[in-house]
Amino acid sequence: MTHITEEDLVLLYYDEPGVRPDVRQHLQECGECSAAAQKLARELSVWNEWTVPEADPELGRSVWAAIAPRLEVSAPLSRRFRWLKFAGALTVMATLLITAFVAGRASRHSRPSLTAGLSKQARERILAISLADHLDRAEMLLTEISNATESDAAEVSDDRGRAQDLVEEGRLMRQTLAREGDSSTLALLDEVERFMLEVANSQEKLTPVEMRQLRERIGSGSLLFKVRIIESNLRNEGQKL
Amino acid sequence: MDAGDDIATNDIQINSARRGDRDAFRVLVERHAKAVFRLAYRMTANEIDAEDMVQETFLKAWKQIGKFDGRASFATWLHRICANCSLDLIRARKRKQDLYPRADNDDEQDPFARLPSGSPSPERLAQSSQISAILIPALNELSEMERTAFVMRHYEGLGIEEISVALGVQTGAAKHSVFRAVQKLRRALEPVMSANR
Repeated sequence: MTHITEEDLVLLYYDEPGVRPDVRQHLQECGECSAAAQKLARELSVWNEWTVPEADPELGRSVWAAIAPRLEVSAPLSRRFRWLKFAGALTVMATLLITAFVAGRASRHSRPSLTAGLSKQARERILAISLADHLDRAEMLLTEISNATESDAAEVSDDRGRAQDLVEEGRLMRQTLAREGDSSTLALLDEVERFMLEVANSQEKLTPVEMRQLRERIGSGSLLFKVRIIESNLRNEGQKL
Repeated sequence: MDAGDDIATNDIQINSARRGDRDAFRVLVERHAKAVFRLAYRMTANEIDAEDMVQETFLKAWKQIGKFDGRASFATWLHRICANCSLDLIRARKRKQDLYPRADNDDEQDPFARLPSGSPSPERLAQSSQISAILIPALNELSEMERTAFVMRHYEGLGIEEISVALGVQTGAAKHSVFRAVQKLRRALEPVMSANR
C-alpha cells in the first residue's frame, strides 16, 4: 500500500476510530511512516507544554456568587413552550421594524413615515438587530434538526410551521437587504430560505432517510456555523451603531 | 461515589435546573466551572478573560437549559456554549485591534505581555512564557472553527464525533478542521523545531 496520509497519521495520533486496519498494519511495517508518526507526535507534544493556570479552588462558588443575581427570576422555559410564547410576538415585532425601515427609505420624498424621525444610523441598527433575531430563530430550528435522531421525525414534522414563518419573515428581510446591497448576508438568507422551504414543504411524517438528508444539508455547507457567525456579527454591529 | 452515581446525580440536577431550580443549577456550576475555565483559557489565552467566559457560559446555560435535550453530555453542551462565548470575545478583540492598531510590536517583543495578567506565580510565568510566546500567535492564525476543534481535540480530549456535536457540524467537517489546524500549527512551528534539532 502507499504511505499513510498525514490525515490518517493525525487520526492515529489521537486514537480516533475509523482508521482502517491495514493502515495500522502498515505503520508497524514501514520505517518511513513510523518516522513520520514519531515526528508528528514530537511536534504535537510541544503543545502540551502550554499549561493552564490552576483555577481558584473556589472558582465554582465565586462564579455562582457573580451570576446568581443576574439569573432570570422565573424558571427557564422548555424550548417548545418558549417558542410558542415568543415566536408570534417576535415575528410581529421584526415585521413592524422591517416595514418601518423600508417605509422610511421609500418615503423620503413623500409623506412622513414611522421612521421619519430616525437617523440613518438608527434605521441600520434596527435592521441589524432584526436580522440577528431572525437568524437566532433560524439557528434554534437548525440546531434542533441537527441534533435530532431518526426517531424524532415526528417532532421535526411539527416544526414545519416554524419553518414557514421563517421563510415569510426572511423574504421581507431579503428584500430590504437587496435594496441595501448587502450581498453576503443576502446570500446566507437565501441559503437559509432554501433549507426552511424544504422543511416547510416536507411530508407530515419525515422518513429516516429524509431526516438524515436534512441533517447532512446543514452540515455539508456548515450552514449552522455560518448562521451563528453572521448573527453574532450583526448583533455586535447593532450594538455598535 | 462512583461514575454511575455521578452521572445519575448530574441528571437529577439538570432536570431540576430545567424546571427552574436555582439550587440545582448552583450545584452544576460548582461541578463544571473548572472544566469550563480550562477550555475558556485555551480559547482566550488569558486568565481574566477565561474567568469572564465561565460566567458568560453559565448565564447562557441557564437561559438555554430548556434546549438541552441530553443527546450530548451536559459537559459537551457547556463546551459548545463556552466555545461560542470565547469566539465572540476573540472576534471583538480582533475588531478592536483593527480599529486601534498598536504603533509598535510590543507584544511580539515582550512575551510576558501576552500572558495572563492575573497569573499568580512568577515561576509559572517563567516556565511558560517562551512557549506561550511561540504557540499563542500560531493558534491565533487558525480559523475560528479550526481553533475550537483543535482545542477540544488536543486539550479537552473530545473525540471528533463529540466535537461535531458541540460545533453543530458534520463529523467530516470537524475532522477536517482538526486536520487543517494540525497542519497549520506544524507549519508555524517548523522553524522552531528545525532550530532545536
